[in-house]
Amino acid sequence: MFLRMFLRSFFIQAGWNYERFQNLGFAFCLQPALERIYPDREKYKAALLRHLQIINTQPYMASFVLGNVARIEETAAAAPDPAAALKNMPGVKQALATSFASIGDRIFWGRLKPMTAQICLLVWSAGGFLGWLFTGLDTPAPVWLLLAGPLAGIIFYSAFAVYWRWRGLKTGYDCGGQAACGLGCSDWTRMIRLLSTAGFSMSLAIALLAVGLLAAMNCGSCSPSALALKIGLPLGVLALHRVTRALGRSVFFAAGVVLGASLLAFSVLGLEPFKLYL
Amino acid sequence: MIAAVKALLSSVLAGLLGLDTVQAGQFLLSRPALVGPVLGWLNGCPLEGARLGILIELIYIDFIPVGGVVPPNGAAAAAAAVLAHAYGGLAPSLSFFLGVLAGAAYSPVETRLRAARSAWNPVVESQAAAGTLELRRWLARAMLAENAALAAYAAAWTGLAALLALLPGLARLYPGTDFAYSLMPWLGLSGLYFRFRTQIYKKG
Repeated sequence: MFLRMFLRSFFIQAGWNYERFQNLGFAFCLQPALERIYPDREKYKAALLRHLQIINTQPYMASFVLGNVARIEETAAAAPDPAAALKNMPGVKQALATSFASIGDRIFWGRLKPMTAQICLLVWSAGGFLGWLFTGLDTPAPVWLLLAGPLAGIIFYSAFAVYWRWRGLKTGYDCGGQAACGLGCSDWTRMIRLLSTAGFSMSLAIALLAVGLLAAMNCGSCSPSALALKIGLPLGVLALHRVTRALGRSVFFAAGVVLGASLLAFSVLGLEPFKLYL
Repeated sequence: MIAAVKALLSSVLAGLLGLDTVQAGQFLLSRPALVGPVLGWLNGCPLEGARLGILIELIYIDFIPVGGVVPPNGAAAAAAAVLAHAYGGLAPSLSFFLGVLAGAAYSPVETRLRAARSAWNPVVESQAAAGTLELRRWLARAMLAENAALAAYAAAWTGLAALLALLPGLARLYPGTDFAYSLMPWLGLSGLYFRFRTQIYKKG
């Protein structure tokens, strides 16, 4: 039952819709448990209908809710008054979905996902591929390296995702029925803080690496004023992005400003273009 | 003819990888950082594919899919950019900006697909009540529609890029787009930096 629920949990968002969000996927994941708990066809149908109602949570953390709900259904099926045993189920389900969505969004979308890009950049840099920073640099790089960068990030990310999907199912089932079920199974605050620190350190390392590479590529090849311009421009882009964020605009705005200014200078006014490196 | 078939097959592959964005797995196989080099490799430009992919990834890092928000689609963006370069014949710089635009413009398509599935709920409920519900089929149908939509979308952008390449005087844009493109890694890196810096200030 657990294995089938776990495998199905990878499709929890397959039927995502605006009316009831993950309801189709959630019911699909829960089906193996419901089939085992309710051999009686009518009771099974009623249970399935119960779980076709609105539900939305973070997809990786949905396992906590799934395990919990499976346990509640199991307990209710064995209770003398199933209706009374199921009375709190919608509330518990909703509370857990909201709590785990908040935790999952911070861990997976907010921290781990950007870290996959950082890992990719670090792998590429370690392998000598700097084309990600210097767009005009055509030094060939082996295909295995180009694929190894993103794959390293994906493996790192998926290890977390798969682990929490499985552990969430087990934990949710073990403490099923409790409103705070699974919320204490890890020190989430500490984990979030650690990931933030690791991500920030990697960001800083990559930024320093990039500035260092830019300076090294230009060192000795141009005048101090040209060097200042070539280092100043990227820093200007950083400042532009900061201002854009402060104004509440998206990164598209900053990209549009850079593109517009470049087109005006080099395509319309016909200024002599230059590269940020030799 | 062979090029058109290869472009179409690449679009279908992009559609398959794109399923990972929301519907199946969510292992991040649909991230532009992977879609870019994979499609680039299959279409004879792995280096440019990797570069386009990671730069789109860095630009899109600002967007998070929380609370049902539909962010720009990275798989659509990377596919459109790589195929625009490989088959449209556009310079990488112009392909990049075209890809970024394509990814952002995919959000309304995704929104419509999700909205269309809302109409399934009453039918699914009536089937469940009647005991004839095959949820597996409904989900497969949803994934097939998403795959087809993304594949068609990537193919359409490739065609658009090929048409764009026929425009006279297009090469005049390249000095401007090339320079802007050379600054995009820095815009992406600043996105990465500010994302974590804000978190450190918030203390988790």
